[in-house]
Amino acid sequence: MSTKELRKEFLQRPSGTFSPDWFRFSGYRQDFSLPVRELRTKGIEALFTKTTPIIYKNDLIVGNSRCLYVNEDEKLLRNVSSTVNEIGKRNFLTNSDHYSPSYPHTVKVGITGLIEEIHESKKNHSSDDEKCKRLDLMESTLRAFITMIGNYKKEAERSMSDVAYDKEKLAFIIDNCDALMHRAPQTFSEALQLVWFCHTAFLMEERYAMALGRMDMYLYPFYKKDKESGVLTREKAVELLENVFIKIDSTDVVNICIGGTDTDGNCTVNELSECIIDAVRNCNIPGPNLSARIAENTPDDFLLRCIDSIGTGLGYPALMSDRINITALSRFGYAKEDIYNYSMVGCIENFITGMQPPWSDGRFDAPRYFEYLLNNGIGSFDNTVSIDTGDIGTIGSMKEFMNRFEEQLRYGADQYFALFNARNDRINQEFFEEPFLSCFCHDCIERGLDINGGGSRYPSVHGAVLMGVGTVADSLSAVEKVIFIDKAATLSELRDALRDNFEGHEQLRKLLLDAPKYGNNDDFADKYAVWFLDYLSSLFDRYRTRDGGYIYVAMAANVQNIYAGRHIAATPDGRRQGEPLSDAASPTYGRDVRGATSTFNSVTKPDYGKAACGTVINQKFSPSMFRGEKRQKLLALIKAYFKKGGQEIQINATSREVLQEAMNDPEKYKNLVVRVSGFSDYYVRLAREVQLDILNRTQHE
Amino acid sequence: MLLNIANIQHFSVGDGPGIRTTVFFKGCNLRCPWCHNPETLSFEKTRLSYPHLDKTEWCGEMKTVEDVLSQVLEDKDFYDESGGGVTLSGGEVMLSADGASVLAKRLCEEGVSVYIDTAGCVPYSRFLKLNDFSDGYLFDFKTPFADKYTSIGGDLETVCSNIKSLIKDNKKIIIRIPLIPGFNTDAESVNMSCKILSELGADEVSLLPFHRTGSGKYQAMGKSYSYKDTKPLDSKITEEIKAEFSKYFNVKVEA
Repeated sequence: MSTKELRKEFLQRPSGTFSPDWFRFSGYRQDFSLPVRELRTKGIEALFTKTTPIIYKNDLIVGNSRCLYVNEDEKLLRNVSSTVNEIGKRNFLTNSDHYSPSYPHTVKVGITGLIEEIHESKKNHSSDDEKCKRLDLMESTLRAFITMIGNYKKEAERSMSDVAYDKEKLAFIIDNCDALMHRAPQTFSEALQLVWFCHTAFLMEERYAMALGRMDMYLYPFYKKDKESGVLTREKAVELLENVFIKIDSTDVVNICIGGTDTDGNCTVNELSECIIDAVRNCNIPGPNLSARIAENTPDDFLLRCIDSIGTGLGYPALMSDRINITALSRFGYAKEDIYNYSMVGCIENFITGMQPPWSDGRFDAPRYFEYLLNNGIGSFDNTVSIDTGDIGTIGSMKEFMNRFEEQLRYGADQYFALFNARNDRINQEFFEEPFLSCFCHDCIERGLDINGGGSRYPSVHGAVLMGVGTVADSLSAVEKVIFIDKAATLSELRDALRDNFEGHEQLRKLLLDAPKYGNNDDFADKYAVWFLDYLSSLFDRYRTRDGGYIYVAMAANVQNIYAGRHIAATPDGRRQGEPLSDAASPTYGRDVRGATSTFNSVTKPDYGKAACGTVINQKFSPSMFRGEKRQKLLALIKAYFKKGGQEIQINATSREVLQEAMNDPEKYKNLVVRVSGFSDYYVRLAREVQLDILNRTQHE
Repeated sequence: MLLNIANIQHFSVGDGPGIRTTVFFKGCNLRCPWCHNPETLSFEKTRLSYPHLDKTEWCGEMKTVEDVLSQVLEDKDFYDESGGGVTLSGGEVMLSADGASVLAKRLCEEGVSVYIDTAGCVPYSRFLKLNDFSDGYLFDFKTPFADKYTSIGGDLETVCSNIKSLIKDNKKIIIRIPLIPGFNTDAESVNMSCKILSELGADEVSLLPFHRTGSGKYQAMGKSYSYKDTKPLDSKITEEIKAEFSKYFNVKVEA
């Protein structure tokens, strides 16, 4: 109940303008003559110390960035921002956010412990002024952070006289703050409060998609101890977790990782893992992006708890194959224990927790390269340019077509990487140090180096997000079938049809649509999805980031497949220009029409050990799959899917809204299968009154 | 050996234990007016057209046992994980018992569980062809009254004697009762069904509440559907019927 009330409080924005720049500026203006890294540190200190914390009446664990609202003249704030922007900030492509901090270590030593480590490191580097200076700056940000905690304490003390506040809650907050200012956390609530203070500080620094990591691992010792000593109940732990998760903004993507194994392969699922699922489920908001690592020895009970949460329609957690992710991460020379302690950032991106610079990624629109191949390197829809791979009249076989396509993709990958590098190199690492963030990354303190300047244990990695596996596989399958096997059309005719967006070429489009499609367990099409990941990952394997890290590939999309599709000409799979590309690593919606097992047989063919960033397979199941004995069948389906080599699955329990939309737009929902009665059928093929029957039945359930 | 196949449906989750593939055979000897699968009634190829999808389909294809086998074995991993397998259904699969038994035998050799979904209005000699190769039967029981059975082309006496024989031969049997308003949902039908089935020694019963689910197919076949306007069974009535059956059997209501 208090969670819901807290959400209401949280959603009430303070008056004024959200302006972190105002506070940064107030730090900068103290002394603009300082060297830039010191100047930046002043900005961070100001963010932490000059803000007045907001404590909600339903807060148990405090911390939010609403304190960054200021009531100042708009024009004044714009001018301030302009100065702050000139000093500059890192952004997503220059490794600023999407990071999983070293919380397992932080909760062990506390902030005071980190400061001690800094002192220790300074002794070891006493002859290196540069490092000592950097360590001093790290310490200043931590001291400012302690001041921020102290400000929360003061604010809680001040609120004691306000009758609207619950004194017991405030006393709880005061105790936690007081402890964290002076020592490492000793209880579950102190540890959780510390993590949330850190997260809040990162938000104040304007970082986005900061993960909470393996909470069920690093908080479990506290949970266990408190439960044993009787100061904590399971219910209280869920309440405290809800108190945190409910303060995650809907626009943020805060990954939380549960489940999985330890370095020896032992299952690490525990009671806290369950508490976390329950808390995320109870909050029922999009922000806490829960991921569950599923290993071969993950208990069915846990997986069923995940399924139950997914079945509410919330869709959390996403289920990740520990085996595939660990295989994928094992290619890069990371220590075994660091690999096993991986978590995710953002949506699904695999991350060596607290040991590499923040993530970055970009989109590689593979289906775009058909138009270049067919039109001598010129984009037929959007005036873009690639290389001229020659006149298509000279292509006499599918093999030659593939050679040309590979040549186009190779060029595209080279260009992609050159542009990324240029962007990344534009940042002078020395000027853009991150003293506060570095305190939450191994081994920055020990080495006296910045997180982006050689301090992190492992170098930066970059994700190349491969778009449109379904569109590409279906297109290649159609080209092979229609052009080279049936010889029903020539490549020139295909080019003309695509250029004309199939207008006047409806017959050819029908032939292309009738060719085998990815997702029906037909190797004719599926082999191209296998090739897609093999070939593109081999291309991106050739590059290294500025500091020697690897390029991971991903097959994920969010909704970018829709935006990417808007700028891509018609493709040989029958897709019209501007239509979305296939989503993530899924087959093209509506074209995998042979049931979930066939879809899973197809999508487990690619070798996801090559997709270190991760993949997304979106599937929809009707809500009835989450109940009764069918729930066990869904469990078996998911387990078989992972055994067969699936990397990830996220499931939608079909909602009433979707069914209604399916009735309005049947083409789009062609592959939505519903159990009818005595048999299953495609929803859109049922008569309208049947659809209404099912719609109404669903509502009752 | 060629099999007359209407459809092979992967990821069947309502036709027996675990995840199954259901093989629908063409041809049926009953003519239940509420039938959900009218396209499987005839042994001949049946045309279905969906003008709003600009799509025409033909139901019915002669397939070799090996063809069917290789298609259903694609999902072996899912059967193994879920305790599922293959369900042979129809139409009335027992009208194709010779071919079905060759398929069922091959499936047994591959270690795949076989269930048979039948209305059972055939001589027991046909069951004998499949008994050795099947793990269980989903056995339809439409009405406890002989005249009503006759009206849909069936025979109550045959049904009862087949159930009895299967139980005697130690076959796993799940009785499936479609709950059809106006046909078998009245108190008398329910009470009588319970009486007959319990006397026969049945212990497991699945109730399938009526829904107007076949009407899209009737439309696609250009036929009228006499149950088009029949309302689905009120869930309260379903619960009452379930409660009555539960006095005698282990009962499940299928969605």
